[in-house]
Amino acid sequence: MALDERTTRDRWGVLRRSPLLRYLAVVPIVGLFAAVGEVFYRLTGSSRLSSIFLAGVFLAAFSLGSGPGYASAALAFLVYLYLVDPRFEFSFGGPEDFNAMMLFLAVAVLTSTLAGRMRGETERAQARRKLADTLLAATQEFSASSDELEIRRCLAEHLARAARADAVVRDGGRTLSSSKAPAPPAVQELFGQAEIRAQAGARETQDLDGWRIRGLWAGSQFLGVAGWRMSGGASPPDELTVIDALIDTGAAAISRARLAAAKTEAETRARTEDLRNALLSSISHDLRTPLASIMASASSLKEFGGAFDEETRRDLSTTIEEEAQRLDAFVANLLNMTRLEAGALTIDRSPFEVQESVERVMSRRGIGDRLTPGPGESWRAIALGDAMLFEQALGNVVDNALRYGGPRCGLAVQSCVVGSHVDVTVMDEGPGVAPGDEERIFEKFYRGQPAPRTAGTGLGLSIVRGLMRAMGGDALAANRRHGSGLVVTLRLEAAT
Amino acid sequence: MSAGALLLVDDEPQIVRALTPALTAGGYTVQVALTGGAALASLAAEPADAVILDLGLPDMDGKDVIRHIREWSDAPIIVLSARDVESEKVEALDAGADDYVNKPVGVPELLARIRASLRGRERRFSSQAIVEVGDLVVDFARRHVTVEGEPTHLTPREYDLVRVLARHAGRVVTHKQLIAAVWGPGAQVDAQFVRVLVGQVRQKLEAEPSAPRFLRTEPGLGYRLVGADDGT
Repeated sequence: MALDERTTRDRWGVLRRSPLLRYLAVVPIVGLFAAVGEVFYRLTGSSRLSSIFLAGVFLAAFSLGSGPGYASAALAFLVYLYLVDPRFEFSFGGPEDFNAMMLFLAVAVLTSTLAGRMRGETERAQARRKLADTLLAATQEFSASSDELEIRRCLAEHLARAARADAVVRDGGRTLSSSKAPAPPAVQELFGQAEIRAQAGARETQDLDGWRIRGLWAGSQFLGVAGWRMSGGASPPDELTVIDALIDTGAAAISRARLAAAKTEAETRARTEDLRNALLSSISHDLRTPLASIMASASSLKEFGGAFDEETRRDLSTTIEEEAQRLDAFVANLLNMTRLEAGALTIDRSPFEVQESVERVMSRRGIGDRLTPGPGESWRAIALGDAMLFEQALGNVVDNALRYGGPRCGLAVQSCVVGSHVDVTVMDEGPGVAPGDEERIFEKFYRGQPAPRTAGTGLGLSIVRGLMRAMGGDALAANRRHGSGLVVTLRLEAAT
Repeated sequence: MSAGALLLVDDEPQIVRALTPALTAGGYTVQVALTGGAALASLAAEPADAVILDLGLPDMDGKDVIRHIREWSDAPIIVLSARDVESEKVEALDAGADDYVNKPVGVPELLARIRASLRGRERRFSSQAIVEVGDLVVDFARRHVTVEGEPTHLTPREYDLVRVLARHAGRVVTHKQLIAAVWGPGAQVDAQFVRVLVGQVRQKLEAEPSAPRFLRTEPGLGYRLVGADDGT
């Protein structure tokens, strides 16, 4: 139905646009109804043909508008006068005929007026609906997108549709055209000039070289210019209203997109900043705590060395040594993390005896007795990797277990061969990990809950995974099946 | 005889282990607390002459510990703090801490600060009428300041500044505390005014105002009138 209407309207479109054609179209319409009248007259001999001619006038007025309606009324009057008695003469048979003819003329004019007005109303209603549809469609498309460029392109298209001509949207150096081809340089320059003028404060519409150009403003924010080519005369007021509304809606949408983009950017920046701060504060804490202990111990020895008994002196020396080792481990971790992130860690993958490395890591921490023998021949397992880096990774896992489980907690380290892998598992009796967080503990800065402040940077396990993967292996975590505690598995490819 | 009882609050066992022998050798009896809660409990059970407090504690904010202590105790509090958190230091001092020491700290410096704080406390509570720092003498009773025996004329505001700093000689007084003391509590005065006032006072008291002997700047924190024994 809607489709039919559109094709009909298109068919009559040519007529509607040219006034001359509209008036000429009156002739065949009146001619057709005159022919019908003539046939009727010949068949019945009745000269009362006014209703037939009035129907013609009505049709002409309704389909062509009031002006052609009046013309058809006049023409029909003449033809009617010519056809009826006395036939083929422009004269009246008598006073009664004269009255009848005058009445016909009056009714015809009235009919034209009413029918023409009706047609105008219908047309305007249709136009309004079409414009409202245009605006609605544009608004929907604007709000569906948060990409500024997309909104600008969309605005150009809808503007072109509303103005039934080419449209251009410009902001800074970028000119977007509604047509497929980019806007020609001359047009670009024209819009550039208009943009400069609009930005300088010219809020009114600028008519330049056949283009109408308006600034895009969202409040006091200038967002570029939009314009359309004027095609033959001024656009009707309804259309201008819609174009204005389109431009304002478009500007609002662009402004919204910019705000959203700015917000996203700010959030990203804040997140990066948070990460950097977390890293800095944990590095500063982890470097400073051992340094503070070393400084205090060393200056104590220097100041009061003679006054201390042997045991105190040894205690302080031990503190210095241990803290220096801690510092060294931390620096090594930092270096490895930096290298891992830069992809600059060179791995020397060669066979090494896993059990030996495990024993070294444990005895260095004075907990060699907490090793659990693996099944069967596991102690002979040989894996592919870099022994130094593996010891670093295992050290981090063990430190983590001691930290969360407490230095006296149960801890079991075991290595075994599983298929083509060598697995080294570290099992503690700490709080374990919240279900679902088994992967997250390998993320940078993840800290277990409740995280003691001494728990370090939250870098340890992320470095472990980085190192293991760089060696072609992996690091996995799970809660213990019975009782509380965490099981971290370091997996390497077995050497054959 | 003990030089005083100290409460050492730090959650890092190795730092406690490193500091305790020196503090003991310095003549103090040392109590240790690893958390803020333990510190408050310990202080309530057994009063200490001074508290050495690490700001980063696992259970509560160090500044809250200071506020809690200040509700009922005037014991000097020396804050152990990291150098890079200037704002924390200011907040801690404003909350009622007496002094701060940057980590890592050498034992001699820490002991000197403890001595200064203990002396400062005596000074405040003995309502001493005169404070002498080298050649500088501040006579509170006569509102009178002399340098090398020469009387110095100070405006009322300048005198207020000197009086506050002298009352806390050897310790940091923050911008905020100076503003409250000189312009009145709640005064909306910029730290810039304090700087200008300090400049004027230095012109009158210091032989070389650009290299002050008495009135030292604590960057980002405030000012300190050097103590009687660590001046010149």
